[in-house]
Amino acid sequence: MLSKKLQFKSKKMPKFKSNINDKIINSLKAILGNQNVLTDYEDRYVYAYDATAIGEDLYLPDIVVLPENKEQICEIARIANENKIPIVTRAAGTNLVGGCIPLKGGIILHLSKMNKILNIDKDNLICTAQPGVAVGQLQQEVENVGLFYPPDPASLKVSTIGGSIAQSSGGPRGFKYGTTKDYVLGLEIVLSDGTLLKTGGTTVKNVTGYNLTQLFVGSEGTLGIIVEATLKLIPKPEEQQVMLAYFESMNQAAETITNIISAKITPATLDIMDKKTMETIENFHHTGLPTDMEAVLVIETDGFKESVKIQTRQIIDICNKFGAKNIKVSQNQQEADELWFARRSAFGAVARLRPNVLTEDAVVPRDKIPEFISKTREIFDKYNLTVCIMGHAGDGNIHPNVSLDLRNKEEAENFEKAAEELFDAAIELGGSLSGEHGIGMLKSGFMKKALDEASIKYMKEIKKLFDPKDILNPGKIFHE
Amino acid sequence: MNEEKKNYKNLKDYTEEVYKCTKCGLCQSVCPVYKATGLETAVSRGKFTLLNGVINGKLKFNKKIAKNLELCLGCKACYDFCPSGISAEEIIAAARHESLKINGIGFIKQFILDNFKSNFRLGLLKIGLDFYKTLQINKISEFLVKFLGKAGKYITLFNSQLREHIKYKKLKPVKPQSELNIVYFPGCINNYVNSSIKNSVLMVLEKNGFKAVIPENFTCCGIAARSSGDFQSFSELAENNINQIPNNVDYIITDCASCGSVWEFYPDFVSQNLVDKAKILAGKTININKFLAEREIYFPENAEISKKITYHDPCHLKRFQKVFEEPRNILKQIQGIDFREMKDADVCCGAAGTFCVSQPEISQAISAKKAQNIIDTKADIVCTSCAGCKIGLSQGLIEKNSTISIYNPVELIAELYLTDEK
Repeated sequence: MLSKKLQFKSKKMPKFKSNINDKIINSLKAILGNQNVLTDYEDRYVYAYDATAIGEDLYLPDIVVLPENKEQICEIARIANENKIPIVTRAAGTNLVGGCIPLKGGIILHLSKMNKILNIDKDNLICTAQPGVAVGQLQQEVENVGLFYPPDPASLKVSTIGGSIAQSSGGPRGFKYGTTKDYVLGLEIVLSDGTLLKTGGTTVKNVTGYNLTQLFVGSEGTLGIIVEATLKLIPKPEEQQVMLAYFESMNQAAETITNIISAKITPATLDIMDKKTMETIENFHHTGLPTDMEAVLVIETDGFKESVKIQTRQIIDICNKFGAKNIKVSQNQQEADELWFARRSAFGAVARLRPNVLTEDAVVPRDKIPEFISKTREIFDKYNLTVCIMGHAGDGNIHPNVSLDLRNKEEAENFEKAAEELFDAAIELGGSLSGEHGIGMLKSGFMKKALDEASIKYMKEIKKLFDPKDILNPGKIFHE
Repeated sequence: MNEEKKNYKNLKDYTEEVYKCTKCGLCQSVCPVYKATGLETAVSRGKFTLLNGVINGKLKFNKKIAKNLELCLGCKACYDFCPSGISAEEIIAAARHESLKINGIGFIKQFILDNFKSNFRLGLLKIGLDFYKTLQINKISEFLVKFLGKAGKYITLFNSQLREHIKYKKLKPVKPQSELNIVYFPGCINNYVNSSIKNSVLMVLEKNGFKAVIPENFTCCGIAARSSGDFQSFSELAENNINQIPNNVDYIITDCASCGSVWEFYPDFVSQNLVDKAKILAGKTININKFLAEREIYFPENAEISKKITYHDPCHLKRFQKVFEEPRNILKQIQGIDFREMKDADVCCGAAGTFCVSQPEISQAISAKKAQNIIDTKADIVCTSCAGCKIGLSQGLIEKNSTISIYNPVELIAELYLTDEK
């Protein structure tokens, strides 16, 4: 009796979260081929997540599709728009703000099969790529012909061109070379109604009308689907040199940063890690970092051989002048890799402390870094949370990595409170919510803190203009 | 299936390991199956998501999950890369074990595993193969290959595994007799399909003054049973093999990467009374190339091999046994050799035990990529040290219509010695 009742009940449960139905699924199969349309519960389950630690919450997509070309994406968008079905675009799913999480079900557009570099033009210093190409792979291929694509998000081995444009990603080299936004010359975008829009072009100079290209950079999949990108390249620097400088106080490290910048030296990278980060890395990887120092600066200079030599000497002088206890300078590529290894192991080391790790992202004016770091420590200490503080000091971009277990309700709640206080502190110091990860679902609630009403109003108007039915990554950036 | 005797680690024992996957997704950059399919379920992050769902009760451990668990080569490439240091290979084997209890193992896999379990059946196979070889049907079938299309490629693949490079010949030792007690574990392929490598191992050892014994009752090493989750069979095979080995052994030499890697697993799968011995033996297992590279072996001055050679790292040798320099060092000592490193030498060949049977399309795609990297070096010979990889490499090379031959480095040394004695 009971089981019959249950059966009845389960039959009445809606099969899909969105307006999708079997007829639509069949037309998607006709466009993409059966093998590129996933509907099994188990297949969809793994697409309910990206790299954001969201605990046990489950936002299941109704269907996952793997297009192989932009024409297919146009057709998918047309069907989705007609039927008001959400589309969440995703490639490597390395997002840290829940950007790829399908909050309202619908379609996951997985771009793993659109992973080809279409062209590298050595004469015009540009390249064209599909959105699913990994940033690291593109860098490798252009470096093979003596060129350089500088944006270097930490996840570059897997994170993709499409994703990094959608999130306007940065990385350590942002200080000297800028971030993804500075390298996008032109885009091909599928709009919510299935129109293929071409913005920008192949030239570095281009002021023909509004700069639509930049409107889509950092739009987090809410305005259109990036299906092809033309990127600016630069000649590969002749040489690189890495150094680590250790300090007994955060203030000395901060003063050193300020003085390097005011001496008009522009290192490619000017990163900082705090004591807890060094301790944690040493705990797991034994890279030779001292654990009795308060801060370490990771500085990379690059350029022509002679210029690297001069910059390095000047930086060493400044480090010494402002109290560096020890300085290590790489003498060859292998040593450079070893020094970078310590910095790059930071996330992994924090990940081994406790089951979950949340990488926060806030930005403050450069001169406010010591104040912001001590404030960060204070906040997380207050809530009894383990935090390792690291970041791109040259950009004022700080990443507190919080190690915790989200199954512990108290810890999870404490984290939310601490995160809010962290953003309040950043904004109070003249900074903002995000340097390079974006807003997504995690920070949408804080937008009002960082932006004035008019900005938010016009942003929403733009969203409405491009996506009147709100099908593209709904529920992101703006809080409902 | 028999009642289980032992308490193997099950999925619940890995609850914390599975949960601590940060979902950073870095495993995508090295996973050959992800690269071939583009599916999130193919990569370790996706599998941990599914297994976490199974553990916390959100997902039922059904056949669909079992199917996704099949999508792993066990190559361990993601382990080196994982910030949280999670061993997907070990966890997936345990999950397959659990799945097998719930969902069964499938007819074809069961048939293959049953054959490996029985020396009698393998013996019958040998008789059949010997018949095939002596009647030279393989020569006839080569003619037919052209007309058979896809099936022809399988015949070519089959024949390629039977070609014997080295026939055994008693060689004159050049070094004094060593006191070391050496047991040689030849493995199924050497015993039942193609003994060329076994002949070479014995010849090279004898020439250098080492005497190796081969106990009569060795069975299959059990690697396929373990990775399929058939822990019961694996432990039976493990216990038998351990029992064949005298306590005073100094080295257990293997030439196949997979046969060498299992000894590290044995201690976790045998009865309490054998655990200590299993642990000691695990420390004494050594790949033939490492054994030779660590010693000053004889390289004849008047014999050379003027060939371009590249080397493929078996997963079970590089990532499981940390042996990768040694085979290269051996090759580079051979006079006349032009050694060329291929791109992605340590990426899986695609065979991965029963994977090539259960997922033929993905397996072939991975093998084809490997073959292209081999062909790009313009090598005449590709060397490796694994019976499984030999299948993966042949599969890819045949697909690309390449005639590059596959050797174990030890076969080349044996060939040098034969030339030397001529």
